[in-house]
Amino acid sequence: MTIPADLKYTKEHEWVRIDGDTATIGITDHAQEALGDIVFVELPEVGRQLSPGEAFAVVESVKAVSDVYAPVGGEVIEVNNLLESEPEKVNTDAYGEGWIAKVRMNGDTVELLDEATYTTYLEE
Amino acid sequence: MTNANASGTRGLMHEEPLLFERAHRNAEAIALPGIADDTADATLADFLRRTPAGIPGLSEPEVVRHFVRLSQWNHGIETGFYPLGSCTMKYNPRVHEHLVRLPGLADVHPEQPEDTVQGLLALLYRLQQALGEISGLPHVTLQPAAGAHGELTGIMMIRAWHDSRGDHQRRIVLVPDSAHGTNPASAALAGMRTVELKSAANGQIDLDELSAKLSDEVAALMLTNPNTTGHFESRIADICARVHEAGALVYGDGANLNALVGKARPGDMGIDCLHINVHKTFSTPHGGGGPGAGPVAVNDTLAPFLPVPRIEARDGHFVIVREDEHSIGPVFGALGQVGVLLRALAYIMAFGREHLHRIAEDAVLNANYILHRLKDAYHVPFPGLCKHECLLTDKLQNRHGIKTLDIAKRLIDLGFHPMTVYFPLIVHGAMLIEPTESESKQTIDAFCDAMLEIAESCAKGDIEALQQAPMLPIRTRLDETSAARRPRLVWKDDRN
Amino acid sequence: MRFLPHTDEDRRQMLETIGVSSVDALFADIPERFHLQPGSLKLPPAASEAAIVRSFRQAAEANRHAGNTRCFLGGGTYHHFIPAAIDYVILRGEFLTAYTPYQPEISQGTLQALFEFQTMIARLTGMDVANASMYDAATATAEAALMARRITRRDKVLLAGSVNPRYRAVTRNYLSRLDGDCDILATPPFTTDAEALAQHIDARTACVIVQYPDFYGTVYSLAPLRAACDTHGALLVVCFSDATAFGLIEAPGAMGADIVVGSGQALGIPMGFGGPHIGLFACRQRFVRQMPGRVCGMTEDRHGKRGFVLTLSTREQHIRREKATSNICSNQGLMCTANACYLALLGDAGLREVAARSHAALARLVQSLPAGVQAAAGPRYHETVLSFADQQARERFLTAARAADIFAGIPLEHLEPGLPARHLLVATTEMIEQADVDEYLALLEQYA
Repeated sequence: MTIPADLKYTKEHEWVRIDGDTATIGITDHAQEALGDIVFVELPEVGRQLSPGEAFAVVESVKAVSDVYAPVGGEVIEVNNLLESEPEKVNTDAYGEGWIAKVRMNGDTVELLDEATYTTYLEE
Repeated sequence: MTNANASGTRGLMHEEPLLFERAHRNAEAIALPGIADDTADATLADFLRRTPAGIPGLSEPEVVRHFVRLSQWNHGIETGFYPLGSCTMKYNPRVHEHLVRLPGLADVHPEQPEDTVQGLLALLYRLQQALGEISGLPHVTLQPAAGAHGELTGIMMIRAWHDSRGDHQRRIVLVPDSAHGTNPASAALAGMRTVELKSAANGQIDLDELSAKLSDEVAALMLTNPNTTGHFESRIADICARVHEAGALVYGDGANLNALVGKARPGDMGIDCLHINVHKTFSTPHGGGGPGAGPVAVNDTLAPFLPVPRIEARDGHFVIVREDEHSIGPVFGALGQVGVLLRALAYIMAFGREHLHRIAEDAVLNANYILHRLKDAYHVPFPGLCKHECLLTDKLQNRHGIKTLDIAKRLIDLGFHPMTVYFPLIVHGAMLIEPTESESKQTIDAFCDAMLEIAESCAKGDIEALQQAPMLPIRTRLDETSAARRPRLVWKDDRN
Repeated sequence: MRFLPHTDEDRRQMLETIGVSSVDALFADIPERFHLQPGSLKLPPAASEAAIVRSFRQAAEANRHAGNTRCFLGGGTYHHFIPAAIDYVILRGEFLTAYTPYQPEISQGTLQALFEFQTMIARLTGMDVANASMYDAATATAEAALMARRITRRDKVLLAGSVNPRYRAVTRNYLSRLDGDCDILATPPFTTDAEALAQHIDARTACVIVQYPDFYGTVYSLAPLRAACDTHGALLVVCFSDATAFGLIEAPGAMGADIVVGSGQALGIPMGFGGPHIGLFACRQRFVRQMPGRVCGMTEDRHGKRGFVLTLSTREQHIRREKATSNICSNQGLMCTANACYLALLGDAGLREVAARSHAALARLVQSLPAGVQAAAGPRYHETVLSFADQQARERFLTAARAADIFAGIPLEHLEPGLPARHLLVATTEMIEQADVDEYLALLEQYA
């Protein structure tokens, strides 16, 4: 299981990559492993305004469903349409091609953890 | 030894193509009665179908052989033991199939004049009375089409009762985390908000948790008793009293009524409203998923809110009441799943007042017997008496890399339908076993032997057969992941 | 007791294994005061199989039925011919006594039959996909309204007044506890005006629900409704009560329906006083993840062999609980097999013939009506409304018809309270012969 050092994490097992005022969001390796084979990702609409902590996407395996919560507030500016045809990218490349949405941040966030803190959190 | 009960050889197992893959000759159309006159079509000239639907027309021998071959790929009660927990897969008496096909019961139109269906209404009325007596809740609607539909109906009635008292703020339904998924789904459909009750460590209702969650916004508690771990909630009277004191009502999920039938009555314990899965307790066939029926029985408090239409007896004849001031209205397009309900009546009549309790007695005896034969080989999360079903887990087998799913699939190779797996959700690796009253000691022993053989293989590290299972059926484990990723739900002749 | 296999010796041995002295000890966890005395329930005494058969036969013989009358009743339930092979197939114990196919390796029979059923229903209605059934047409209509609300995230449902009153009542009932509106739109007497209905569709509309052919048998174009739905982003939901219609007339899918629901009773299921029937549910591919109910999909096993499984389960109550697309669990599974068997026995050609004959009988009836009786105008499929001069004329005719073993129609005010008691909803099928039509007409001539 990998936890890249250059990302931030949430206690709900989302990751976020911050680049200027854009946040790229996905679910962590731990989350995808716990869910099993991902079969469907319900993506948010582009333009939707998110508050931090709001459920904005849904990840489904064959027999489980999990909401994805927004680590940051802001406007959805892009979604990963690749997941419509290849949801398995969330399993095979959680931090890369398995990203879910990009958000133009408004400054609000939930509590974001760094790699070390998230690692400790998982161990607990 | 247990292989004596295995799923047979493949000697007479045939592959069977889809109907759409058969030579599409449009065999000579079936000979029909009636008036052949194509000139009549002219009145519909602007609306005639331009391209045929693409339904292959096959000869009768082809169709019958097709479906008989398909049937041979199925496991049913009549082919073997079917210990699905929470599903009550008991024997379905064959005479019931004869009864419901009598022309005076089968070929009857729902809008026929009432005086031409008095015999049928009399039977349905007898069922209403019997269900009221068995549940201890005297007022019964036969309308709900299934258990979940009964839940919806019951919660609608409870909501209507609160509304009638001006308690419009009561919109919360408490649902234990061990409940069937239909409970929260039905409550939501009735426009209610569900709040989950966390079970106590013994899998039962946590009274403190219950009291903490009760408020003047709570409309009802949905309770399954025996609960989905197979245990009776012994503090049922206390639970009902607390709910009633808080101004709410208790909805009983009757899915597990087979443990109580003839022995004790939910109505006597303080339940206000109960649905009865007649396709469980009263032995109407499951038909590969349905039809079932979910009559709802209620006490005097809720009686005014029962759905219409319903049957009443007046001066020696039966009437269908279609309007009633406080009724929640209709929840189904007809009086109910009549053919299913009639089978339930026949089952009750066969046992009668003398023998009805023996259903629960043998069902509970069988479940406890299985529990005792398997309790050393499998982890029992909640020890003690069980009722009509017993709960095990895969905890002891996990250390050998074997999970509930493997055990279930291996049972298939040993000739049994698996138990319910991964339910209730509050128990990791759950295996819920419900033998019902229909099984002989010999069958139950053979099943226990198979379970012990599996546990022994695990303990010896001999796990390949478990991981590969099932190997004997016409299909091995199926790829459910790709089915859900790229759903193919219909056949397309040109590309599949 | 013939359904209980144990001998007393079996029970004794089992109690010994458990380590208790009596069966009652197994119920010690139920508080004593709730224990019933055996035999204390007010139920009839146990009956032998012979006695039960006698009792049911007596009850059955007290009823009139389609076998000893001529049935001109419709309104959602129809007396069509049912080939005997269907009953033989669904009486196979492997179909009849199986549970929901949650263990696919030993349920391929049920699953393949469901896949064939889904395919046939999709083709018949002209839609992309169909589910593995709902309880009946009324609840299927209600579920379609709920689905349209989810898809559009709007909460106004429009329901045409020419939809079967039973479907309307159940749909309204389902929606009445949720936020939003369910407006019943008035239609002209005994027909549907699609142009007028289309005027009501606006930017708040989740869906408009129409019946086609409508409750009174009217066949009409859905085009104005499709156009208005496109303009306003609403969905077009079409319900039907006799699936044989689409053997003859254009399928709703070909006219742009988004969701199609209805009854499959006409496809090989006895009238049975209203149930069990089957609710059919079909929709466009893009909406499939909002569809209620079970659905079967095609896949492969470990050896690459084709097989079938229940799929898209995350929509359902056992996984999504309060957020599920529906609370439905048990459906009408066995009736799916009956429908599939019926359709395979008839095929496109047979189904067209059933529809054509059902329709021809009505055409013969309507073209020769006596002066005092009017049939509703416009194109109809096998069902229409006959209007009499007054209630007395209608009752005279109904009484005479009953004496002649004819169920001549449904007094319309039974389904639509408030209507003057001089209308009759009349339906015909291929079970109606020329002699039956002639006799019906002669009675009208004499008594109406």
